[in-house]
Formats: sequence, structure tokens, C-alpha cells
Amino acid sequence: MVFLQQLLNGLANGMGYVLIAVGLTLVFGVLRVVNFAHGEFFMLGAYVTYYGMTLIGMDYISALLVATLVVAGLGILANRFFFQPLKKEHEFTILLSSLGLALLLTHLAETIFGADPKYVDTPYSDATFSLGDITVTQQRIGVILVASAMIAATYWFIKHTRMGKMMQATAQNPEGAALSGINTKYVHAYTFALACALAALSGALVGPTAMLYPTVGDWAVLKGFIVVVMGGLGSVTGALLGGLILGVAESLGGGYISLGFKEAIGYAIIIVVLLLRPNGLFNPPASTK
Amino acid sequence: MKPVPFFESAKAWWFGLLLALLAPFAAFNDYLLHMMVLWGIYSILALSLNIIVGFLGELTFGHAAFFGIGAYASALVVMGLGLPIWLGPLAAGLIAGAFGFAIGYVALRIVGPQFAILTLGFGAIIQTITNYWVDVTRGPMGISQIPPFKIEALGLDFSQASHMYFLVLACLTLAVYICRALQSSRTGRAYVAIRENPELAQSIGINTFKNKWLAFTVATTMAGVGGSLYGHYLRVITPDLMSLSYMSALIIMVIVGGKGTTLGPVIGAMVYIALLESLRAFGNLRLVIFAAMLILCVIFLPGGLISVWLRWQNRVREN
Amino acid sequence: MSSLIPLLQAQKLSRHFGGLIAVNEVDFEVQAGEIVGLIGPNGAGKTTLFNMLCGSMAPTHGKIIFNGADCTSLSAHDMAQRGMARTFQITSLFPHLSVFDNVLTGTYRRQHTGWWASIQRQARHKQEEAEMALQASKILDFVGLSDRQDDLAMTLPYGDQRKLEIAIALATDPQLLLLDEPAAGMNPDEGAKLVGMIKDIRQRGVTVILVEHHMKVVMGVCDRVIVIASGQKIAEGVPQHVANHPEVIRVYLGREKVHA
Repeated sequence: MVFLQQLLNGLANGMGYVLIAVGLTLVFGVLRVVNFAHGEFFMLGAYVTYYGMTLIGMDYISALLVATLVVAGLGILANRFFFQPLKKEHEFTILLSSLGLALLLTHLAETIFGADPKYVDTPYSDATFSLGDITVTQQRIGVILVASAMIAATYWFIKHTRMGKMMQATAQNPEGAALSGINTKYVHAYTFALACALAALSGALVGPTAMLYPTVGDWAVLKGFIVVVMGGLGSVTGALLGGLILGVAESLGGGYISLGFKEAIGYAIIIVVLLLRPNGLFNPPASTK
Repeated sequence: MKPVPFFESAKAWWFGLLLALLAPFAAFNDYLLHMMVLWGIYSILALSLNIIVGFLGELTFGHAAFFGIGAYASALVVMGLGLPIWLGPLAAGLIAGAFGFAIGYVALRIVGPQFAILTLGFGAIIQTITNYWVDVTRGPMGISQIPPFKIEALGLDFSQASHMYFLVLACLTLAVYICRALQSSRTGRAYVAIRENPELAQSIGINTFKNKWLAFTVATTMAGVGGSLYGHYLRVITPDLMSLSYMSALIIMVIVGGKGTTLGPVIGAMVYIALLESLRAFGNLRLVIFAAMLILCVIFLPGGLISVWLRWQNRVREN
Repeated sequence: MSSLIPLLQAQKLSRHFGGLIAVNEVDFEVQAGEIVGLIGPNGAGKTTLFNMLCGSMAPTHGKIIFNGADCTSLSAHDMAQRGMARTFQITSLFPHLSVFDNVLTGTYRRQHTGWWASIQRQARHKQEEAEMALQASKILDFVGLSDRQDDLAMTLPYGDQRKLEIAIALATDPQLLLLDEPAAGMNPDEGAKLVGMIKDIRQRGVTVILVEHHMKVVMGVCDRVIVIASGQKIAEGVPQHVANHPEVIRVYLGREKVHA
């Protein structure tokens, strides 16, 4: 049935979005930074995976792991040398500099990797899995499974580990957290690393399902924003729900309505949600004066 | 009161206009003239963005969409409806302004990063519609063979750089005039007040929403007219005009040039075009350089290149 | 000095926050030309009351009548347009503008020509611009900041910043000026100067309401004092009367002693 097929594709795409959005929303929640460059870490995750396999000859899984770690490291550097020094600046400045960083990384990637699209070949990208009328590539199944596992792990991490609790505390009350002895710089670095790792993982998983080009970071961060707007800035649960809703809405819309709809639905969601429920769909509405 | 810095005085602008009028005669080839036309058009666009980003202090990511709307509106009205070509820019301004009026009404109650994301959404959805509404806009292929402006009786063909330059310069002069008129009025002071301290602005009687709405509408109208000039000069337009690349370029021009001033965006456009052309050999590295310039300006030189001149002027005056 | 219609009337003004009643049916009047003090212990609801009068917070119940017109639902900028100016508890300026430009910006509501008039180079526009600059200069003279007019507002010492705030408010040419703890952080010397300035402001024809904790300032400058505690008006009258009022002494016991 077409419907189930679309649904499954939508869930796979959605899980990819969730990984991007969770990182974006965590960085906002803990660091209070809206990072336009977040999508670039998705892009880098995909490219490092690609080059890991083609240049170094690693197998897909190893390349994926390496990519996740490398980009997490890059995230720590970005936080240390870019966002941390800017912490005291006006919102406008931070927003604009993160745009600058996004442009810098995109165009560096273009220069170094070339603007031509790359095809990331993994053992799973062509092999398919059939159940009745539904066919799905193993890669897509992989996205759903791995992403679900990572999100569950992230949940567990935030709720039950010491660092996770420190992240929660810093998100709720930055000054209070610092006063109670939490090393907020360390928490920030950790959060940023986690966020970039998730984005890179998404890139490594989703990359093989489509072409890879240096400007994919713009696409990724836009999807991230759509989901985070839906789910509410700072809410991991919101990111999960929002990502799945977006993925499925796009897939079903693309299948039953039009491709144009598929592309536009995300933007329409941003507009409607920001205007009517700026706190996100799953939070109580913003209070009036 | 502090004496007005030289470059803000009317004298400086007349001098600049004189230079601009003489410049084409110093240009040794058509290509250079073509660059100057582009500079003029981009300056108008950058000035329009500056009204929102510089005067109001709000970051918008949807501005390129109004540029695109203007370009498409002008082309469609002239080619599709067969209206006289000089109504193109008028239609462009009105339609882009109407979009700005409507979008501004709903969007301007929101500020900060959410406003940026919201305008990004609006810009993206307009670009998507332009891409997919193939019947009207011809989709990704865009519209080509757009008729150029002409004054047959005087033998003026504005698809030629040497002629178009003066038309664009006239429009740029008008845009500059409008911006300077803003700066020396209570409206300009109100915008700065809204930018610096919205709560205080309200408490002295400034209706922040209405003022922002007006600024936004004027800015989008100006961008629309710029789009019309662009379309009838280059004669080909695609939905790419509304993309992040054009948007980023405009932001860079405004920030690197000097936001909140009138000369800043004009200088920014000049620097952008000059570097884009002179560094052609660098290929995509040029865009890396622009990104680096943006970051450096945002962090170390928030007032843009203009602020360097200003600082030098102050030092000269003190000595 | 008393006119028939009070300049400002608060009628059964109330503000609820969910279950919490911050201001409970407060009634009072202010006549033109008065200097009225609004005092009370911390958390008494003075700030909430103040914000309702200025239009930055909507009352839950009650009415605000300013200049004979019902202004209850008006927003802050509307109230300012009608002639009510205010200062803020935490210093609020245009930090990156010069002292002169701060005050010039304040003349906004007095001017009628804007962008369009500027584009048309109307004679009236030039006139008004010159007039506003002149007014700004005069107000700077009045508060004593003329020699610092080219300095950036954020470089001013605290006391001068507070003066600048008052200057900006005066630039709107208000009928009623609401001062939110103008003496906060001031030493006795500065406090005395402030008292002088407020009296001079009244001489210019501006009615003043001030929320204040510094009792010397309140007693030194106010014609009348209104005491708010737990959201309700508990006393009202000339400073001497209020200082000896048993209820007032009771709520202030252990906090500040009320001096005559």
C-alpha cells in the first residue's frame, strides 16, 4: 500500500530530522544560542563518512563512528573559539555570527570537497527489505533504528547521568547553576559536542539516502528550525514529536498532494506555529500581558 | 551639538554624486560599466535591507524574497499583461510593498531570533511557490528575454550598461535621498529608539509596532523596485534570486559596509562587487573570504568599514 | 490650586495574577500641580499600580481616568501621547546615543512632521527640527547636563544617568510625570538636589507622582502621600499626618522608621 510506504519513508526522514533538531534545541536550552551553523555539522558528518570510506577505505560503520567523534570535536572547538567568547554579546551579534560561521563552513566545504554532488555508497543503501507491498532500503531502516536508539540514549543521559542533570540545571537557571558550583563552561562544551555528534550522526545516516552536496547544511538547519519551532525551543520531547510529524507530513503530502506541497509544508508550519503558538505546539500557549 | 561628520553632510553626497557621474568615463571597458550597474542595483537593495537591519535593528532572512517578487512582478506585468514597460517598476514596488505590508503586519509583533526564523520561513515559502507555480513563473527555468527599458526617441537602450548606469544612478540617488530624509526626521529617531530600547521608546509615545510596520513596508517596496531594475537589465530572472545566497550577500554588504548609516550599504555593495570580480581567480574561496569578513565585522567592527573612517575623522578633528 | 476635575483618577483599580491579588481596589485622585508620593513596604503592589497607571500593564478591574478621559485600556505609548511620562526603576536610557540625542528623541510626541515631510523638505519640518533641538538644549540646561551633551549615555555616572532619564521624560512635555524610585542609590546630597529638581519640575507646570523609599525625599517634596500595603491603600494625607498614622507605623515597623 502506498500509504504505508509513504509513512515508513516519512518516519525515516523524520528520525533524521529529530537527530538534527535535538542538538539544535539542546544548544538553545543550555547555551541560549540559536545556532544557524548547526546544519553544517550535519554536512560535515556526511562528508567525513564519505571520505572515510573512499579515501581511507574504512567500512561504513567505522566511518560513521569516526565522523561522529570528529565532528563532535569540531563542535567543541566551535564552542570554545566562537560561541563562548561571544556569550556576553547581544542576541543580534550571536545570530549574525552563527550565520557567518555557517557560510564560512559551507563555502570552505565547497572549496575543499568540490561543489559536485557525491554519492555515499554503503552496503545498506541499495539492499532493500520487503514486507508485502512495502519496500524500503536497509539504510532507511538503519536510520530509524539507530536514531531511535540514540534518542533513547540521549533521554536516558539527560535524565540519569550527572552531566545530564547539570545540563538540565544550567538550562533552567544559568546563574543559579553556576552559583551552585556547576562548571557551566564544561557543561556548555559537553552540550555542544553532544549536539554536533547527533547532527553528524544524522548526516552519516541520511547522507547515503540521497546526494551529498556542500550546501546541504542549509537544508539541514532549516529542517532543524522547523522541528524546533514546532516542538518548542529547548524541548527534547518536542523535537522528537515535531520531527516525526514533519517527516510524515512531508512524505504523505509529497505522495498525495504534490512535490511543491512537500517542500512548502515545513515553511508553512514555521509561519503558522510562530504566529499562533510561539512556544511550540506541545507547550502551553504564551501568556498575554 | 556635535558637528556633522563630513561624510554625512550634504556636501559629501553631492561630491559623491559628481564622482559617480564621472566614473563611467574613466571606465575603460564595458565590463567595468556592467559592474558599476550591478553596484548601483545592489546598493539600492542593501539600502532597503539596512532600513530593517540597521535602523530597526532586526535581523531578517526573508528580504531577498521581496527583491525576487519585484523582479517577477515587473517582468510578468510587462510581458504577461502587456502593460507599458515603465509601469514595471511601479508594479514591482507596489506588489512587493503589498507583500511587505501583509507579512509585516503578522510578523513584526515578534522580535529577535524568532523573527529571523519567521522571515526565513516566509522567504522560503515564497521561493518555493515561485519554483513550483510553473504556469505563471515558469518555475526553475525562470523568465528570460525580459524587455529592457528603452527611450526610442532619445536612442536610449537601458540594456546597455553605459545607459543603464545613469538610470540606476538616478534611482540610487533617490534611494539615498529617502534614507537621509529618514535619518534627519523624528521617524528616524523613533526607529533608533525602538532599536536601542523598545520599552523606553513606548514610554515616550512611540508606537513601536506601527513604526516597524511602516519601515518594513518601505524597505520591501524599495527592494521590489530594485528587483525590477535588475530584471529589465539582466533580462533573465530565476527563483534563485530569493535564495540564501542572495540574502547572505545583501547581509554582508550591509554589515561590512556599516549598518545604520546611509553610506555604509553603498560602500558595502562596492566592496562586495569589487572583491567578487577582482578575486575571480579564487573561485569559491571568495565566498569564504566574504563569510570571514562578515564574522570579523560582527565581532570586531560592528559599525562596519564606515566606522573606521569615522574613527579616523574623529581623531583628525581632535588634533 | 485645586481644579474641579482631577488630572488623574484611579477608581477601584485592581490587578490579579491568577489567584494572587497584587492590587486591591485602590482609589485615589491627583490634582493638577500636586506632587504626590506613593509609598509602602516592598512587595506592597506599588510597582504594579505604577505600571497600570502608565499603561504597561492592564488592570483586571477598575478605571483610570486621565484628563477626564477613560484611559483604562490604553497602552504605554498611548498614555505617553496623552501627556503622561514616566521613568523606570532600573535605569532605562538609549545607551549608545549621546546625551543630547537621548533627550532629542524624547521630543517625539511634540513633533508633527516626520519622514514624509522630511522627504518633501517642508519648511515646517525644518522649523520643527530646529525647535525640538532648542527644547532639548533647554531641558539639558534645566537638569544640568549641558556640559555632557555629547557624551554617550552609557558613559555617564549613575547619578547623571538618572538625571538624563528625567530629562528624556520631560522632553515629552508631559502634564503628569511618574517617577519610579528616582532617589534609588543616591546619597543624601544627591537626594536633596533631586528634591530641588522635582520642585522645579512642578514650577514648570508638571504634576508629579513618585514611588519612593527614601523617606527624606518623600517628606521633603510631597504635598500628599498615599500609602499602599498588601495591595491596598491604607492611608492618605499630608506627610505629617501619614507619618503619625498608626497603620502606617505598623506596616513599617521593623523596616524603616518614618521621619517627619
